[in-house]
Amino acid sequence: MRKFALAAVLFALGWGGLPGLPRDASASISLEKCTLCHGKPEFRKLLVDGQIRDLFVTGDTLKGSVHGKKGCTDCHFDVSEIPHLVRPRRVTCTHCHFRGNQEGAPQSDNVLAYFDSAHGKAIAQGNTKAPLCQDCHGSHAILKAKDPGSKVARVNVAETCGKCHMEIYAQYKGSIHGTALAKGIVEVPSCTGCHGEHKIYAHTDPKSTIFATHVSEQCSKCHSSIAIMGKFGIETEQVATYKESFHGVASQFGSRTVANCSSCHGVHDIRPPDDPLSTVNLKNVPKTCGKCHPGANPNFAVGKIHVDAKKKESGIIYWTATFFKWLTIGTMLALIAHIFLDMYGRTRRLRGER
Amino acid sequence: MPEDDRKDATRDAVEREIDAALKEQVTGLPPDQAEALREKIRLRVRKEVERDLLARTASERRAAARLAREERKKEKQAEEGELFQRFNRNFRFQHVVMFTAVILLIITGMPLKFPNFILSRFVINFWGGIQNSTIVHRIGAGMLIYFMIHHFLYTVLTRDGRRDFWLLIPKPGDAKDIVHNIRHFLGKVPDKPRFGRFSYIEKFDYWAVYWGCIIMIGSGLFLWFESIVLRFLPKYALDVAHEMHSDEAMLATLAIVIWHFYNVHFNPDRFPGTLLWWHGQLSEHEMKEEHPLEYEEILARRAGESAEVTNR
Repeated sequence: MRKFALAAVLFALGWGGLPGLPRDASASISLEKCTLCHGKPEFRKLLVDGQIRDLFVTGDTLKGSVHGKKGCTDCHFDVSEIPHLVRPRRVTCTHCHFRGNQEGAPQSDNVLAYFDSAHGKAIAQGNTKAPLCQDCHGSHAILKAKDPGSKVARVNVAETCGKCHMEIYAQYKGSIHGTALAKGIVEVPSCTGCHGEHKIYAHTDPKSTIFATHVSEQCSKCHSSIAIMGKFGIETEQVATYKESFHGVASQFGSRTVANCSSCHGVHDIRPPDDPLSTVNLKNVPKTCGKCHPGANPNFAVGKIHVDAKKKESGIIYWTATFFKWLTIGTMLALIAHIFLDMYGRTRRLRGER
Repeated sequence: MPEDDRKDATRDAVEREIDAALKEQVTGLPPDQAEALREKIRLRVRKEVERDLLARTASERRAAARLAREERKKEKQAEEGELFQRFNRNFRFQHVVMFTAVILLIITGMPLKFPNFILSRFVINFWGGIQNSTIVHRIGAGMLIYFMIHHFLYTVLTRDGRRDFWLLIPKPGDAKDIVHNIRHFLGKVPDKPRFGRFSYIEKFDYWAVYWGCIIMIGSGLFLWFESIVLRFLPKYALDVAHEMHSDEAMLATLAIVIWHFYNVHFNPDRFPGTLLWWHGQLSEHEMKEEHPLEYEEILARRAGESAEVTNR
């Protein structure tokens, strides 16, 4: 009896209502039926908090998007009768988007990466404000990321992230990277350039691309490339000089307290050094260094920070290095010569020569 | 006494064995030498056997072993001659403090100069990460600074320290010694130069440490108290200190590992090293070989003293 009741309930819900089970085309509801109501331009709902939810959808909504050949109930598969009595649940993209799917959706593990990320974990913990796929990729007008019109295209992704991360977006807009992006320079990093796309972690998570010990690596992806930096007349030696400095070496050995690129240059508000708002502007250097070196004064700004002792422009530092180089070579040559002469003499005497 | 009987029986058996073994050994030798050798070995073996038989408890055996060691030492001393105290206890203590400090400084400092070298990460992780290794580096630095102060006071305040300091100052004779020694290495001169208390090699080592300590401690203190330094000096002064610290560290390490290690460890006369740093003594043989002028001076002084005593 119980089995029969269960079967009856399942039948009533319809196969389409069960996620993960294959559905045939005949089970889906045609577009015309949906647009009977949703096709009216004034079709909207007043929500409890006074907001108005626009429910206007036409047959053109999906046209041009990657889902152009899909119908309404392919995604809203919990709608099994028209008119639906309850509000349809949020769309679950994982219905099709997983590796090994039969629907023809792209084969990728991005969904797994997402669930491991800061956003996916927040969702799992019940944070309703955390973004799902459709919050970034869009709901109906989904385009490929390469398409410049896509919400996740390089030129648009900052704005998409900025919907929630508003303060950071404002900082980024004013930064050198943000202004360059506004000019249409595509090499410039947007949010995802540093934070990653699906594998976004909190900066305190060692897995993060922007964890304290990974920052210099992340920045140097572009800033050590002559091919990229050459276009904009930016020097690439900053990466090498940082790695040779104590800050860089300690960071390579896993120190999290030592300065990395963003400790001095800023995080989202990176500006060129001649900008008075820049943290590395000569006037601001004492304050920036003072974050770690208490009592920092203008002396911190006297002399180049990214100094290379091998270059003649470094002045007294270059001459110190050169002096010690020749002192070491000269001394060691003399000492080693003495050692070899001693061994030569010993060999002679061992052979019985004088 | 059954006990004594048993001992006698054992002794006889041992002696028979010795005779049998010796017969093969001494066949080629002339009879008087063979007899002497036989007598010598028999005496020694009998002594060993008797001592072993007498010693019943572990403590007795240990005491017997100690006695035997001392006897052997005395024999060796007779061959090597009298022992001369070359370095006093204070000086040896300074050397131990210094080399402990320098070893700590090198193994915690070098990985920072060569962070990509395969062992660097291992060495830093051995101390538990960069945070700890920098603390160990500062402990080493503290020890080296202590050594520097100690040695300065030793030089000023003690009689030995003042004497050694004057003797360590390079003189024109050292240049002659260098030329002489190189000619000796090349086989042009049969004898090596006759050194006093300190040869030019030891003088070089001493002043190299002086120079190294001043550069390393000076620049190291700059880097240690960077905030205080930057209150008075511009940032490039710190960069110069960093460069000096890094480069002089390399020079000092190479000088120690190649030059000093050759002179005191890998040199065939010394290999694998002597205990001079621990007991500070040189045998008469070594004195004659390495510091003949000092040896003669000591003998002359003794002769003078004894002459005074006899004249009195």
